[in-house]
Amino acid sequence: MNVIEIKNLEKIYNGTAIQVKAINGVDLNIEEGEFTAIVGPSGSGKTTLLNMVGGLDSPTSGSIVVDKTDLSTLNQKQLVDFRLHNIGFVFQAYNLIPVLTAKENVSFIMEMQGAPKDQIAKRTREILESVGLGNRMNSRPNQLSGGQQQRVAVARALASKPKFIIADEPTANLDSKSTENLLDIMEELNRKENITFIFSTHDQRVVKKARRVIVLEDGKIVKDEKK
Amino acid sequence: MKKIIILAWRNLWRNKRRTLITAASIFFAIFFAILMRSFQLGTYGYMIEQSIESYTGYLQLQNPDYYDDPSIDNSFGYNQQLIEKIRSHQNVKSIAPRIESFALASNGIQSKGVLVSGIDPDAEKEISNPIHRLIRYQFTEAAIDKMKQNGNLPPDLMAKIESCKNNTYSSEAKIELELELDDESTNKYLPIITHYSHFNSQYLTSSDNGVLVSDRLSRYLKVTIGDTIVLMSQGYHGLSAAGIYPVRGIIKMASPDLDNKLIYMSLPEISEFLGLDQQVTSMVINLNNNDEMMQTQTELQTLISNDHQYAVKNWEELIPTLKQQIEGDSIGGQLFIFILYVIVFFGIFGTVLMMIAERKREFGVMIAIGMKRKKLSQIVSLELIFMGILGIISGMIAIAPILLFGHYYPIRLTGEVAKMYEDMGFDALMPMALFDSYFFSQGVIILIMILIVCIVPLRSIKRLKVIDALHG
Repeated sequence: MNVIEIKNLEKIYNGTAIQVKAINGVDLNIEEGEFTAIVGPSGSGKTTLLNMVGGLDSPTSGSIVVDKTDLSTLNQKQLVDFRLHNIGFVFQAYNLIPVLTAKENVSFIMEMQGAPKDQIAKRTREILESVGLGNRMNSRPNQLSGGQQQRVAVARALASKPKFIIADEPTANLDSKSTENLLDIMEELNRKENITFIFSTHDQRVVKKARRVIVLEDGKIVKDEKK
Repeated sequence: MKKIIILAWRNLWRNKRRTLITAASIFFAIFFAILMRSFQLGTYGYMIEQSIESYTGYLQLQNPDYYDDPSIDNSFGYNQQLIEKIRSHQNVKSIAPRIESFALASNGIQSKGVLVSGIDPDAEKEISNPIHRLIRYQFTEAAIDKMKQNGNLPPDLMAKIESCKNNTYSSEAKIELELELDDESTNKYLPIITHYSHFNSQYLTSSDNGVLVSDRLSRYLKVTIGDTIVLMSQGYHGLSAAGIYPVRGIIKMASPDLDNKLIYMSLPEISEFLGLDQQVTSMVINLNNNDEMMQTQTELQTLISNDHQYAVKNWEELIPTLKQQIEGDSIGGQLFIFILYVIVFFGIFGTVLMMIAERKREFGVMIAIGMKRKKLSQIVSLELIFMGILGIISGMIAIAPILLFGHYYPIRLTGEVAKMYEDMGFDALMPMALFDSYFFSQGVIILIMILIVCIVPLRSIKRLKVIDALHG
């Protein structure tokens, strides 16, 4: 079953002198439970594509349907709500809320969703334990290493029980050990809980782990390989 | 909501130094605005107390011609029925009839133009309460010598008493305050001091033929209790008025202007002196609620206009110079406070601009992960409100004891400034006003300023492009 259906997607940036086609007629389906890496050189359109899939940016033409919802039919307020309930985000720079503890960062998403208090506490603990941070729940981001912060970011993305998680260069700021550790956790979550992950990455370690690799060049898919 | 409050409070302390600097600017704005306004309003209140509550009254009933030509020829007849009618108004606290005229007072070779005020001694207790102002104690040279001979007063207290030579006091409490006596010293030494400094002022009876003389006037005329003064004036319709009157007591008026020229007589005695028959120049009215003065004035005017031709005047009409003086000074003070607030406003504004620039990416992330812009706006607004409240409350707490002290122990001005005050007819005291609407309104002004500043981040969050923000 397709979680994401992209048809004839285009994104054109109008510069002062020239037009840049960041995404040029992309057709793509992502199925539930996929562990997909989107790779390509800088400027190939990886982040632009993920931003549009995540509802953060709008296409110039074409359509993106996420779990039977055409994103182009949603206004800004509905998009925020849609993201909250359907999409998890993991950013390159972790981007945790610095004044909240690991536990609070994770539970905050569920509070925004309006989940019951007892469920929030239970699920927060479970998720943080699943990413190996059961003993650092009360630490603030500045008390955690980069790898630990990124694991909290993954936990936060999982908290809302999303349809899929978008991870934009999640390992770019991590050392080898932390990268391995993070990838193992994400792979395990994917296998055990059937969570769909879509990465944009340059990192070959991520590419090796991915079960589907999509190569973008100049805004076009030049290779789509399933392992 | 709880998490939003927690987030806002914690965000406030992410950049402690900036928060403290901004809160400090609000603290000082509140502190100085209240300090200045308190001095202003306290001084105005004291001026009003000296001039209005202690003599003029908030309202006066007069012959309509008396306002332009304040002569006893423009007096009016009165009776108990009229008094009762006025008293029936719910905001009228007290009413007293008065006859006022100018006369030449003399004792030996000393003479001076004075204001002779004929009063109903009983009714006047509820207006200017002259009994309260009678001098009961005086540190004359003879009294100080006797205290020295007594030998029971410590040298430092004697030195203080000597520095207050010729000062007069209307109560033991005022001596305590002047000599800064503690409880023990009060119990031990005050009976000795009052014993030797006792001054036997008497109040007037309803048909007394004596007079009360104001303190400074008595010094000028060199009269004391038991002496007599001669008064000469022009009576009703040009009658020649003259009389000799024993001094029953010396009275200390708060207003130096009045203290230099006032003589109280009983109504029957002044009527005889000026040739009046059941006539007065004014009815002085004090109110229960002074804020309703204008409304009461109109209502009283309506109440009495059916039967008689009277004019009801308020103190602002009776002493326009005082009103203008207060208004002029008040505007100057408010202008200063306005400038202070403008400076603080731009301080807060700068902080907000820095905060937005610093946290643009964070705002983008929060919206990206599903936080509604409205909630984000609430967090940022709450941060600013918390910062404002922090400055406001700390400023109010810091100023409160100073304000209390300044109210109960007012600053006595000295030198040229004091002379200027006295020339204007006021005692050179600067009391601070107690907690009133002005105190809290300073906090409200700051909060309004913060709410205005909040527009900037709210607008910024509303217009934030998530993609741009995420890319920093």
